[in-house]
Amino acid sequence: MIAKCSSKMFLLLTQNFKYYLSCLYYYIHPAVKWFLRRTTGLCELQRICYGAPEGAPRNFSVERSLLQSRSKEIQAAVAYLNRTSKERQFKGNKLEFALQYIVETVLVVKKINALAHPKFPILLRQSVEVVWGYNQLEQEIVCLAGTHFDSSNKDHEAKLMELWSLLKPDAPLRSRVTKQWQEIGFQGTDPKTDFRGMGVLGLENLLYFASKYNSSAKQVLAHSHHPQFGYAFAIVGINLTSMAYHLMTEKFAKTHMYNVCSKLPSIDSFHLLYCYLFVEFDKFWIQARPKDIMEFSHIRENFETKIRKILSSNQRAAFKVQVSNDLSI
Amino acid sequence: MGLLSILRKLKSQPEKEIRILLLGLDNAGKTTILKKLAAEDVAHITPTQGFNIKSVQSEGFKLNVWDIGGQRKIRPYWRNYFDHTDVLIYVIDSADQKRLEETGYELAELLADEKLAEVPLLIFANKQDLLHASSAAEIAQGLSLHMIRDRPWQIQACSAIVGEGIKDGIEWVSANVKKK
Repeated sequence: MIAKCSSKMFLLLTQNFKYYLSCLYYYIHPAVKWFLRRTTGLCELQRICYGAPEGAPRNFSVERSLLQSRSKEIQAAVAYLNRTSKERQFKGNKLEFALQYIVETVLVVKKINALAHPKFPILLRQSVEVVWGYNQLEQEIVCLAGTHFDSSNKDHEAKLMELWSLLKPDAPLRSRVTKQWQEIGFQGTDPKTDFRGMGVLGLENLLYFASKYNSSAKQVLAHSHHPQFGYAFAIVGINLTSMAYHLMTEKFAKTHMYNVCSKLPSIDSFHLLYCYLFVEFDKFWIQARPKDIMEFSHIRENFETKIRKILSSNQRAAFKVQVSNDLSI
Repeated sequence: MGLLSILRKLKSQPEKEIRILLLGLDNAGKTTILKKLAAEDVAHITPTQGFNIKSVQSEGFKLNVWDIGGQRKIRPYWRNYFDHTDVLIYVIDSADQKRLEETGYELAELLADEKLAEVPLLIFANKQDLLHASSAAEIAQGLSLHMIRDRPWQIQACSAIVGEGIKDGIEWVSANVKKK
């Protein structure tokens, strides 16, 4: 009881300590920046762009520096970036304009001579494109997950049929509503209800996996038919869509995206993350040697914890789909 | 927060624990009901592979709710979770008239199992927000619920996604838990 109480007090104290630390940082940071600027002749953003390694270390620092800027002009340019990416207009001419806007604002506010520092605008641009591109991609994911699968929509239906023929090229569907769907791991005779929750995003993910990594997908599908370690391929796939979705919206996926994208992240960047998760989950599941399918929840949880730990503890984390030779069970 | 209130919070209150089993066909809405009970977001629920479990505080009880997947392949595992069940909640998709017979068959199987003998039964006639949903009375008739005489039972119309009817159902559960 006393131990419990004192641990709670300790927690309160450390929380306050963190608060004091951030207050201190708020007041000291500008002084440190001023000092460094005087001694190095470079502003914080320049020091980041020149000094931080490419990928997540640099992109995270650029993002933090821009969001914390106290210059009204830079704040306005950042607000524009936020708005365009949130409205998913961060492409084409608007993308070009937004990038020019932020880069030029920084050059003017920080009195940087672009001729003396030709590399800086290029590096800053690249980081801004990736960071705000992530925000835009997140919006797109949320939108796709919110779009319900609709069997009267020809496009949705065509994609569903394509998924079947990619996974089962030798066994044509006998009808639209059939038990055959269970062979690729849907629950009943019509997959439409299984897409609830993740909407069209679940279907797009599965379709991408089945088309871009056809042999891997078929291999994973074969594993899912194992008498002991079997699982429902499509249902697990939709659960993994949910995992990838939450990694995106809870910002854990930033580390990965900031490392693998050198340009605007696209929906394919998300699909690739999904394919990585599917292939890795399949291995993780088999290595766990589950007694039966009822162990799914906790094995999935362990897997997700592992992925989140990598993303939050290793700033160089970048996932790559591992196309392996058959893993013997 | 003062020290006294922290101490007061830490003081353990003995609570009665109730084990609730949440069953029904796939896509009936079991996980949505579970999440609604735990006051969690119900916007992005995916089909359950295996099972979910949550502990919820309600009306002085601690409800341990087991939500088991309803897919046909998983149904044989339902039995593994029967032991020490205090209340069975059976969820029906009221708009899925095509599978009313199937859901009735599964329910009959459950009621015939001796491990669940005398266990109070609450049926949630879910998805009442859908236009073509059958009413609770129609479902009760379709499943001949009036034939159940060996246990207390209740059918409760609800819409888990909207959040209507769930609380009434849980009140019935609290009132009808077998006195231990």
